[in-house]
Amino acid sequence: MAGSGSGNPNMASGEATKLRAAHLPEAQLSEQLRAVRDNLVGAFDGMDVIGFRGELTLVCPPEVVLKVLQHCRDDAALSCEMLVDLSGVHWPAGQREEVAEETTGWPRYEFGEQAGRIELDYMVRSLRHNHAFRIRTMLPDDDPRMPTATGIYRSAEIMEREVFDFFGVDFDGHPDLRRILMPEEWEGYPHRKDYPLGGVEVQYVGATVPPPDQRSY
Amino acid sequence: MSDQQQVAPDRPAQDDDADLTTEQTREERAVAAASGAAVAPHTYTVASGEWEDLPDAVEDDLMVINMGPQHPSTHGVLRMVLTLDGETVVDNKPVIGYLHTGIEKNLEYRPWVQGVTFVTRMDYLSPLFNELGYCLAVEKLLGIADEVPERASAIRVIMTELNRVASHLVWLATGGLELGSTSAMIYGFRERETVLDILEYVTGLRMNHAYIRPGGVVQDLPPEFAERVDTLVSELYDRIDEFEDLLTGNPIWVERNKGVAVLTAEQCLDLGVTGPVLRATGLAHDLRKTAPYCGIDQYDFDVVVADTADAFGRYLVRINEMRQSLRIVTQAVAQLPSGPVMVADKKVAWPAQLALGPDGIGNSPEYISKIMGQSMEALIHHFKLVTEGFAVPEGQVYTAVESPRGELGYQVTSNGTNKPYRVRVRDPSFVHIGALADLTNGLLIPDVIAGVASLDPVMGGVDR
Repeated sequence: MAGSGSGNPNMASGEATKLRAAHLPEAQLSEQLRAVRDNLVGAFDGMDVIGFRGELTLVCPPEVVLKVLQHCRDDAALSCEMLVDLSGVHWPAGQREEVAEETTGWPRYEFGEQAGRIELDYMVRSLRHNHAFRIRTMLPDDDPRMPTATGIYRSAEIMEREVFDFFGVDFDGHPDLRRILMPEEWEGYPHRKDYPLGGVEVQYVGATVPPPDQRSY
Repeated sequence: MSDQQQVAPDRPAQDDDADLTTEQTREERAVAAASGAAVAPHTYTVASGEWEDLPDAVEDDLMVINMGPQHPSTHGVLRMVLTLDGETVVDNKPVIGYLHTGIEKNLEYRPWVQGVTFVTRMDYLSPLFNELGYCLAVEKLLGIADEVPERASAIRVIMTELNRVASHLVWLATGGLELGSTSAMIYGFRERETVLDILEYVTGLRMNHAYIRPGGVVQDLPPEFAERVDTLVSELYDRIDEFEDLLTGNPIWVERNKGVAVLTAEQCLDLGVTGPVLRATGLAHDLRKTAPYCGIDQYDFDVVVADTADAFGRYLVRINEMRQSLRIVTQAVAQLPSGPVMVADKKVAWPAQLALGPDGIGNSPEYISKIMGQSMEALIHHFKLVTEGFAVPEGQVYTAVESPRGELGYQVTSNGTNKPYRVRVRDPSFVHIGALADLTNGLLIPDVIAGVASLDPVMGGVDR
């Protein structure tokens, strides 16, 4: 087995954290991505660099994300014409282990966060230089706020709506921040980890449908 | 409504009330209403020649109409709230989510391998691309991207390129139908079925194949695959020529598509639009060339572009892309390397050996007799891997493939367990929905239909 990767299925859940070593910036980045890293680390303070599986991730505080995106778009050496993707990941607070018995297998979600966070990943791509990398930021999950990136990339408009819909991130200045895939009156943010997979009341205007296990039909 | 009110105003009024209705002008009624006086109900009749006085919905006001989600030409359950000035669209607010099934959330509750079963059901016209994107991400996380056998990669390329042809044929069929070309619909679906026959021959299913798995493909190609593909490819070249004969010079087709729904290269980049729509603007961006996967760069093919940036350009790009895909398929079948189709690592490779019987795919009798009758260890291994799966190291990766609609990306996060922590799918159709307003503003309603058809959104992928 060449890769550090393919794990032993018997691996205890705690051992996963040992694999963090793979996240060090020394991990193989192409010459091109190293130049991108040097460019951005030189231009902004407080950037953390993650290299993993040949992908470059730059972690920065929420306040500077827009400046970084603007720089990525306008700097001739970066020239990222496209915001390819914007997605979120929820890392809830506390130490706990979740075991979902109703599914096959033995899932163990280990949460070891001090405070709940919503991770935002902006994936930008340059067609001119043919590179792509990720700008990551962390928001508190109790009141996640983020200035909108629609002024820099208009593709952010629909993606931010999706992140708002699923994670409840409030994008300040977004022209039309409404739910997009869930019904407009829906309560809760389905992609947060504390939102269950099943057993949720189906909410319609003026009526509710009970969870599947409580239905009489 | 009383009889008196229907009397034309030039006839003598019958009583005071009727008098009011006929002699008060619009302004007088407004003044009366403002001062709190009684305003008589007013009935407008055509005979009186009072057109000037009519509240003018067409000239003064914008009209908001709802198109879809059950409209036959909105390409699935896409709903568009159109704001119209006359018949010209001034704004378009798409409403989506009618097919939302929470596939991304579901993935977090199943072992990594079972994720394939979910993702193949997202964009149902390009299931193999979804499987490929997901499996490439899992392999990258596992660090076994280089260990996938060459034969498996070549099979993946063949199958996905065939899938691209099938998807473009459905686009041609539905797009043609939406513009009134029933022949395009009938022929498009007929040709697509011949491609699906091959996919069924290999995977056992027409759609939702779950054929590409982390580490390779689920089973090797059947014996007569090469001959059948050769027959199909030569047949399809002829059929694509027929499509061109039918449509490219067809005055109605040209009239409906040329210069319609223009999206410039700048707009495309700003809005994240990729795929044939971007290539129709003259920008030769194709992930198969710029970020090749599965060794697709070793085959000889061209990136098809057009320079008109309109619906007709997209049509030409897709037609010619089918030819290029067939080129790739021919080369890949001819150079198909021998060897295994799954990684050697038994901790990842799916243990079940499937065999294609007369009634479809099923367990191979030899394998069943081995785990049930001969080897207890093999049975334990099988049980562990099938029920619990394998653990994937912590980390996040993004892999993208060039699906028939554009960049299909998988942003996959693992926290080191046997299930994904988060799988985010960047579906090209979803991003393209965000470009709908730019695409349709300024068009007439019939051109909106041509424009949406040329964008080719698949709602299964949009809503996920």
